[in-house]
Amino acid sequence: MLTAALLPILLPLACFFLLAICWPLRHLGKLAGAISSAVAIISCLSAVRLLNMVMSGAVDPQEGFTHTATWLVANGRTIAEVGIHVDGISASMLVVITLVAACVQVYSLGYLADEPEPHLGRYFTWHSLFIFAMGGLVLAPNLLQAFMCWELVGLCSYLLIGYYWTKPEAGHAAVKAFWITKFADMGLLAGLCVLYASTGAFEWDVRLATGTATLISALIFMGVMGKSAQVPLHVWLPNAMEGPTPVSALLHAATMVAAGVFLVVRAYPIFAQAPDVLLAMTYIGAITAFVAACTAVVQDDIKKVLAYSTCSQLGFMIAALGTGSILGGYFHLTTHAFFKALLFLGAGAAIHAVHSNSIHDMGGLIKKTPVSAVMFIIGAAALAGIPGLSGFFSKDIILEEMIHGGHWVPLGLLLVSAALTAFYMTRVVVIAFLGSPSEAVEKAHGAPIVMGAPMAALTILALVTGYAGAQLGGLWGGTIAFHVTPVGIAATSAGLAGVIYGVLLYGKGIAGPSSAGLRDFILSGPIDTFWRGTWDRGILPTAKRIAWTDRYVVDGAVNWFGWAAIKGSEAARRLQTGRAQDYAVAVIVGVLFFVLYGAVGG
Amino acid sequence: MTEVFAQPPGLTAYLLLAAMLFSIGLYGVLSRKNTLAILVSIELMANAVNINLVAFSRFSGDLTGQAFALFSIALTVAEVVIGIAIIVLMYRSHKSIDADATTALRG
Repeated sequence: MLTAALLPILLPLACFFLLAICWPLRHLGKLAGAISSAVAIISCLSAVRLLNMVMSGAVDPQEGFTHTATWLVANGRTIAEVGIHVDGISASMLVVITLVAACVQVYSLGYLADEPEPHLGRYFTWHSLFIFAMGGLVLAPNLLQAFMCWELVGLCSYLLIGYYWTKPEAGHAAVKAFWITKFADMGLLAGLCVLYASTGAFEWDVRLATGTATLISALIFMGVMGKSAQVPLHVWLPNAMEGPTPVSALLHAATMVAAGVFLVVRAYPIFAQAPDVLLAMTYIGAITAFVAACTAVVQDDIKKVLAYSTCSQLGFMIAALGTGSILGGYFHLTTHAFFKALLFLGAGAAIHAVHSNSIHDMGGLIKKTPVSAVMFIIGAAALAGIPGLSGFFSKDIILEEMIHGGHWVPLGLLLVSAALTAFYMTRVVVIAFLGSPSEAVEKAHGAPIVMGAPMAALTILALVTGYAGAQLGGLWGGTIAFHVTPVGIAATSAGLAGVIYGVLLYGKGIAGPSSAGLRDFILSGPIDTFWRGTWDRGILPTAKRIAWTDRYVVDGAVNWFGWAAIKGSEAARRLQTGRAQDYAVAVIVGVLFFVLYGAVGG
Repeated sequence: MTEVFAQPPGLTAYLLLAAMLFSIGLYGVLSRKNTLAILVSIELMANAVNINLVAFSRFSGDLTGQAFALFSIALTVAEVVIGIAIIVLMYRSHKSIDADATTALRG
């Protein structure tokens, strides 16, 4: 059992070390990629085997299997443990991670085939590290290990966004992503400190006083907002699209950004004791879903549309968790991982074909690359919530839970977001894939098989995952049942209305929504402007003042002592004349002093 | 005054003599620049000690002090040999036996 659980995460770690240390191998980019992909596939198969063991009852899906080793021993007391905790939640998430990672790595072999070999080796090295870090996060038996792996995936994100390091935008985007998530992680770290101070451990499941529980949950949620790109800390995610498209598919759509949702699911026993934080989560999630969906409507860059869409869908999940619907949020996480990864890979295929990110440079791709276009359209339909596809089921369950919780405002926001989601995906599909072909499309070439096969695998999953709700629900200790409800009908109608409106609007070749003022306002990035202003007027001047104090007051004091020591020694060295007789005088004066002192004072 | 010299000298007189001899030696050690003169001054100080030993021995009637003085004289001879050897080496390396010629320890 232990070996079965460790295999999916330790294999990629071994691969990372192999590629990191053995640089001649890494510089043979294609070979490194092949090794890394093979490891990812094996790791995926062993994760599936692990899930199968959990489903067949070898491990209880709720109680789970835990194995820990002591870590951080001080004064004979164990501060923390590392290890693995396999249950239904972690086993299924591990499959999602390794499966998407394997697809993405194989896809990258085709997508990045023209890259210089050493860069390609570096890319796959970080990918292997990422699989290990993400696996370590979902299998974490306590919050400390989760935090450690959480930071590690943040590092991988930084490194992979900055993959095209010669491009200044990629460097800035990497630093922006790192700083904003690090800022949020300050909250998570503080939450861990409070948790340790009040319980003396980092356990997932603890009973706390109400005030402490609220404080800890709020601090942990701050970290979640950064990692899962919730308003107003979502501004890094659209910039993160500067990384290669497969990276966006794996880290910034399917798995890493979902780590925040996963963390809330895992730490739900703590969150459940803080109803205020849960309510705030519902509203923040709904607002994120709405704001990001609005922004996605006006983007022309296909990856930016998908990035804002990811933000929006993460908002759905967070809102669901806020109402107490762990299963709904987690189910949506799982389905979203597959269809959003598929969408990114499809977008990557389109970008690969026309060498541009703009949807206006694509146009009519379905004639040139029919297979990948159809797969993209299936992903878009799943995201839009077209009945029968995976997104439809999970989104429905979330909206249904909103009714049960009586959260009418978030419900309204989410319904509008669902309609907007369908609308912006229709816009992309109509402009980029149907429409009249542009000049670039005439020269477009289809995707190679290494890119097509992973997309096909994800397409199948996007089609069928929705029907696995009952099994997954059982795995996670609850029931996911699908009902026909008024809200479900309303959501589906909203989605279909969005699709129809999109087809009517863009089918006739109109460039964008009629309200140009609103469009420009959204495109100017008001929240980015807000953070830029906070940075320029608040953080930077304060930091400069602190730096001045540090340089001239703290360092000044230190330097003064150094200067005084030098000057003092220069004066004192003259005592040493080097003449033996002077030393003899000193000895005799000293002896006389003590003799007299003894005679008089003693 | 005459009575003082009429009587045989007592312990105090010997101790005073030794103290004077010691002080003269000390002054020589600290003030002379010629290392040979410093060595001679050290001999004076050592002999002041010997006078003390013999004087105490004579007035207490215990011979241990006199025996000890003999050992001390023998040791002093050895010390002079080493001292003169050092001075010879000093002359070889510095071409001088002036005490101020060696200031390698100056800060």
